[in-house]
Amino acid sequence: MNRPAPRPFSLLAEITHRCPLHCPYCSNPLELAAQAGELTTDEWRRVLNEAAELGVLHVGFSGGEPLQRSDLVQLVAAARAAGLYSNLITSSLGLSRRRIEELKRAGLDSIQVSFQSDEETLADRIAGTSAHANKLQAAQLVREFGFPLTMNVVLHRGNIGRLERIIALAETLGAERLELANTQYYGWAFKNRGTLLPSRSQIEHATQVASAAKQRLLGRMEVLFVVPDYYSDRPKPCMHGWGQKHLTVNPIGEVLPCPTAHEIKSMRFDIVREKSLAWIWRESDAFNRFRGTEWMPEPCHSCEFREMDFGGCRCQAALIAGDAAVTDPACQFSPNRQTLTEFVEASQKGTAPFSLDADGLTFRQNARKDDGAQ
Amino acid sequence: MQLPPSDIHPKLSSRARLQTDKVTGKPVLLYPEGVLMLNPTGHAIAQLCTGEVTFQEMVDKLAARYKKTSQEISPQVAEYLHRLRERNLLEMPGTTQ
Repeated sequence: MNRPAPRPFSLLAEITHRCPLHCPYCSNPLELAAQAGELTTDEWRRVLNEAAELGVLHVGFSGGEPLQRSDLVQLVAAARAAGLYSNLITSSLGLSRRRIEELKRAGLDSIQVSFQSDEETLADRIAGTSAHANKLQAAQLVREFGFPLTMNVVLHRGNIGRLERIIALAETLGAERLELANTQYYGWAFKNRGTLLPSRSQIEHATQVASAAKQRLLGRMEVLFVVPDYYSDRPKPCMHGWGQKHLTVNPIGEVLPCPTAHEIKSMRFDIVREKSLAWIWRESDAFNRFRGTEWMPEPCHSCEFREMDFGGCRCQAALIAGDAAVTDPACQFSPNRQTLTEFVEASQKGTAPFSLDADGLTFRQNARKDDGAQ
Repeated sequence: MQLPPSDIHPKLSSRARLQTDKVTGKPVLLYPEGVLMLNPTGHAIAQLCTGEVTFQEMVDKLAARYKKTSQEISPQVAEYLHRLRERNLLEMPGTTQ
């Protein structure tokens, strides 16, 4: 790659994999990083400063549950000092009045709270713990302190039928942005995809509901809904291109071109403890491997959509086709599309109601405390 | 484009932050999951959205600055404010969407 690297705009700072929730659709890796291996406060400060120097404007503090880090307020202050617009991406467990006051003072800009459903019983069963009531209170605190509130709901077969009520909850809570995020099948979600994938009729109904809400709430609430790629002919324009706009730093300091890049088992990721963020972004093998269009095989290489979807998702190619360097199997032109289509068709047969206790649904478990860094 | 009432006080939303981009030295408006790279006119308008200045005063100031008449530029200013509102980046107290 001889062209100069583009400028990154956003950093996802996955500051810990620890999380009080056990959602079976989590996109964290199956091998979660243990606390012992996490970057220190000073290491994160360096990452934030280097990201700002590179051109990054937005930082999302995520995880796991970022509130599990006792130094979160210091990290937010460091982001603010570096001129970054910061977003806390949280389950809200641990968001006390005192903590939110401190975060406000440190300069946090916005907060995204995840919800599992609009209703407590189902929501808590999906989360694998009692969390919903806490989230309702936390969302009120977020508004009371004048933060913009984003509500994020991961959709799957178990909750997608409740979309109208989920949207109504977002309105009640005063959310300014609602992410109706169809499950992306990586990590724990891939393991559970047989149970989680909605049926075609569910997707069609949800698409109509979301589209009507988007119109109705224009200017008041931004509503996001994207048809999942398993049901689409076209792949998603993953990360707007590999190594083009975004980088993720995971709890142990690996720098990833996308949050789920750990799915590409053959790829090695450089660590901020060993190299500068600028070097990793511009020079590292991982970031250059799929940058631009030169790496593309057919049918991508000569495809008229190649600058629109960038060949789709590398992680999905690795997961489904066993090779990260081929066309995303979600694409209608991929020789591997049939694999995905067969899976989708097999999922239509089941008329049994969604059961969280179904055999094979694996709830996320944290790494043991004494596990070393991976 | 219908003009907003002349005595309205447009104010950038608290979810938006106006700052200078380190890389380009140019003004940017940051908000959740998004950024607007502002051109000089957009920047001039955004800087006046303080909640202290009325729409009419805003138009008069910009007209003086760009050596135009208020009548000439008021539709453009209104259009720009409308676009900010659609992104939920502007408060106009007393108006309804």
